[in-house]
Amino acid sequence: MQERLSEIQNQAKGDLAKAESLEEVETIKTRYLGRKGGVITEIIKAIPGLPPEQRSSIGKSANALKQEISKWIEDAKGTLAGKEQASDSKKMFDLSIPGEHKPYGHKHPLTQTIDDIKEIFKKLCFDIEYGPEVEHEYYNFDALNIPADHPSREDFDTFYLGNKRLLRSQTSTVQIRVMEKTKPPIRMIAPGKVFRPDTVDARHASMFHQIEGLMVDEGVSFSDLKYVLTLFAQSYFGQDIKMRFRPSFFPFTEPSAEIDISCSLCKGKGCSVCSQSGWVEVLGAGMVDPNVFDTVGYDSEKYTGFAFGIGVERLTMLKYGIDNIRLFFENDLRFLSQF
Amino acid sequence: MKISYNWLKDYCKYDLSVEGLAESLTNAGLVVDTVNPVEDDFCLEVEVTSNRPDCLGFIGVAREVATIVRGKLDIPDVGYDTTDENINDITSVAVEDNELCQRYTARIIKDVKIGPSPEWMQKKISSIGLRPVNNIVDITNYVLMESGQPLHAFDLDRLSEGRIVVRRAKKDETMEAIDGSKCVLADDMLVIADAQRPVAIAGVMGGKDTEVSDATRNILLESAFFDPRSVRRVSRKLSLMSDSSYRFERRVDPECVDWASRRATKMILDIAGGQAVEGVIDQNYLEDNKMNVSLKMSRLNSLLGLQIEKNAAKDILEHLQFKINSETEDGFSVDVPSFRGDVYREIDLIEEVARIHGYDKIPVKSSIGVKLTQDNRFDKITERTKNVISGLGFNEVVTDSIVGDSQERHGTIWSETGSLKILNPIRQDENLLRKALVHNLLRVKKHNQNYGVEKTDIYELSKVYLPQEDDQLPEEKECLCILGEDGYLALKGAIETMLSHLNIADSLESVHFDFGLFSSEKSAELRLGDRVLGFIGELSREVISDYDFRSKPCVAELDFNVLLDKTNLEDSYLKIPSLPIVSRDFAVVSDEKVTWAEIKGCIESLKIDYVDNIEFFDVYRGKQIEKGSKSIAFRVIFRADDKTLKSEEVDILQEKILTSLGNSLGVSLRA
Ligand SMILES: [Zn+2]
Repeated sequence: MQERLSEIQNQAKGDLAKAESLEEVETIKTRYLGRKGGVITEIIKAIPGLPPEQRSSIGKSANALKQEISKWIEDAKGTLAGKEQASDSKKMFDLSIPGEHKPYGHKHPLTQTIDDIKEIFKKLCFDIEYGPEVEHEYYNFDALNIPADHPSREDFDTFYLGNKRLLRSQTSTVQIRVMEKTKPPIRMIAPGKVFRPDTVDARHASMFHQIEGLMVDEGVSFSDLKYVLTLFAQSYFGQDIKMRFRPSFFPFTEPSAEIDISCSLCKGKGCSVCSQSGWVEVLGAGMVDPNVFDTVGYDSEKYTGFAFGIGVERLTMLKYGIDNIRLFFENDLRFLSQF
Repeated sequence: MKISYNWLKDYCKYDLSVEGLAESLTNAGLVVDTVNPVEDDFCLEVEVTSNRPDCLGFIGVAREVATIVRGKLDIPDVGYDTTDENINDITSVAVEDNELCQRYTARIIKDVKIGPSPEWMQKKISSIGLRPVNNIVDITNYVLMESGQPLHAFDLDRLSEGRIVVRRAKKDETMEAIDGSKCVLADDMLVIADAQRPVAIAGVMGGKDTEVSDATRNILLESAFFDPRSVRRVSRKLSLMSDSSYRFERRVDPECVDWASRRATKMILDIAGGQAVEGVIDQNYLEDNKMNVSLKMSRLNSLLGLQIEKNAAKDILEHLQFKINSETEDGFSVDVPSFRGDVYREIDLIEEVARIHGYDKIPVKSSIGVKLTQDNRFDKITERTKNVISGLGFNEVVTDSIVGDSQERHGTIWSETGSLKILNPIRQDENLLRKALVHNLLRVKKHNQNYGVEKTDIYELSKVYLPQEDDQLPEEKECLCILGEDGYLALKGAIETMLSHLNIADSLESVHFDFGLFSSEKSAELRLGDRVLGFIGELSREVISDYDFRSKPCVAELDFNVLLDKTNLEDSYLKIPSLPIVSRDFAVVSDEKVTWAEIKGCIESLKIDYVDNIEFFDVYRGKQIEKGSKSIAFRVIFRADDKTLKSEEVDILQEKILTSLGNSLGVSLRA
């Protein structure tokens, strides 16, 4: 019987060596290990009929051989599988096919800019405030030291709704609303929509976004203004930008300043974005005019402060090199999905 | 305002290159926008802010330059000889409205010779873009540019009765202006008239009939101060702008009125010959309000964060022609020159010192400390909401608050009251404040479809404006509108996901709601507890054809305030169960009228402790199901906290559920 087993061992080895396909290996497997009629299976089945003294040794040998052949079959399968895959070009998986995509929604670029700016000012301990978009003339003009005959009050600079109501033309309105209900110290920014009846073109829209800032306390100085706005500009535009503070005029601040940064496109050499000047204007700011403090009932001898305004569209356009403000409000998905 | 680099040197001998000049002016607050070469000269375009009309003339700009370089300002001489004849014997000026005309001066020069102006003058005025006309007109323009004071020369012999009346126009009176435009005047417009008719629109433009021509021999030279508001109003109304109106609108220097008149008279005599008649008619109604302002150095230095010496501050102000009239240890007081109407307080003087000293010399430093910022619940919830909706594949849009009347076309969502109207819209067909967001999103969808983008999953979180009574401000309601292209249930699912991320405890209820915008079948009011959250629906066929949509979008518009009130920002942790669950799948047949909410409610009402969750699978109608019935498949998950449930236990519960469904809803197991 042992001889029969070693004969089977040799045969199986020979068969597997000749096998050229996985199918052949399967046939060999059935021939030797098949549940019905497999050579080894039959021998093992027949063990109970053997003389008792042979049962244990034959049983062991038969089981060992079964294990051995199983292993050879697996090995042969492994080798052939590799060969077949390499040769069978019809079944090859094309690794270059693009992946499947889940939809990905984008926040509007203006939202992202506002969020970025809020994040910077939060680090500088500024609160976030909001105010109404439809306002009384008082908050948009009178309280901001804008005289009754100022040109910005005219029809072509402000949308009117009747009964001294208007669409706010600046977020500075929120300064007044916050100071009316809060005592100093104040540190806040107020993002929001503003409206002006500008003729719509690549640079002007009748609705756009501003962020107003205000800091009031005892002893706040122009150098604090420069400090805070320098930190902001470096944080938003990069540490190596150059800044220029130059005198300007706003009715509700004095002294007033406009702040330019070195043009990032031409590195200050001059290009169309910066009108060849090497500078782009990014902020308006100034020390809060004492008349504004008087209006909201702050002691203008005791408190000083600064205010600033940021144009959200302008910063976004500069950051991405967008040349037409209308793109923000057309909401073309081919545009929005780039941000 | 345009400045010639060479011409400016007449008034201040500065030693600056054109680039240096441009930079110095910019740093002092007069932004130089462009510098253009003109022959051997440069033309600088200077932006003058509305508070600085004194810089709308060369002398004003030169004063700034002289201060910047701490040099000397040269003001031309205006002395001239006259004849014995007195002006009052030749003409008269009657100012009938001294509110609109607060000063009027007239001088007369006789026997002038009209001709081209000398070459040096033509060159100067051409360098800043003015077209030479004749010597008299060129001189008035020259002095206007030099001093900022507009002048007008009338042909004296063409003035009826040779006299001037400053009055309001009569209604529908007409005049042909120098530029050829025919003006129809109104009775709120100030005109310069002769005995019969208007000969100039005060401060705006002269009339053609009385302008200086080659035949002119005698001249009446006007120099005046007109009310700025009035000039602006008239100029806008007539759509006539001029170098004169530009300056009158911004307020001219009351004291320069006479100086400029003398200056022009002298130049006319020098260039066009003739004789000046003795005297001047000067009707002056301006109040003499000389300002005296004091400045404390301690205040200046603390406000700017600087250390500047008193003498340095004095030097700056004296160069700007403020006169020091008294001095203390910490400061001094000054007389404000008449051309600086913008300076009347200490802070105004501080600004003068700051801008000349240079903003760049103010240090970038601060001692401001840290402070705890307030939590902003609105911001947090807004951000979380946008993160979830964007995370589900929707793109945020920002649309205009100003809309047309299409927002009323298919019924209104939040308010029946008419929209707030803008009285001065840019376009007459877009003059309303939006009362809902949905129509704007439909327009965005339309825009995208036009450009070949077929799938437009979008949302906007923004304000709508609901009118209140009378003159009150509107309610500005924050709304969230979502437009989805994957059907009603996908959109509802997105809203449910959002609610779950906002930890809103109330369950979402949908109640059928008839609404013109939506199809009759899929249209619901959404409720959270006792509040109306908003509306959801599939667009009706009418709306789809109205917009020509190729897909069938679903839209939801939600009241964001409800979400703000109901959101729980405190996320909590629930222990993950350690014991295994047992789940049973049900396929039941029910009448069409039975809703899933009823089936779920029925199971929940049994209050079986071990029911952990009830999951909806699907609804099936078709072959093996009788007409008027439907098959609903769902799964019930059973779980106990303290033991592993045995199959037999769950069998009993399953049976209990089926019995209850059968008894109360007539629902039976599907065969
Ligand atoms: Zn550039």
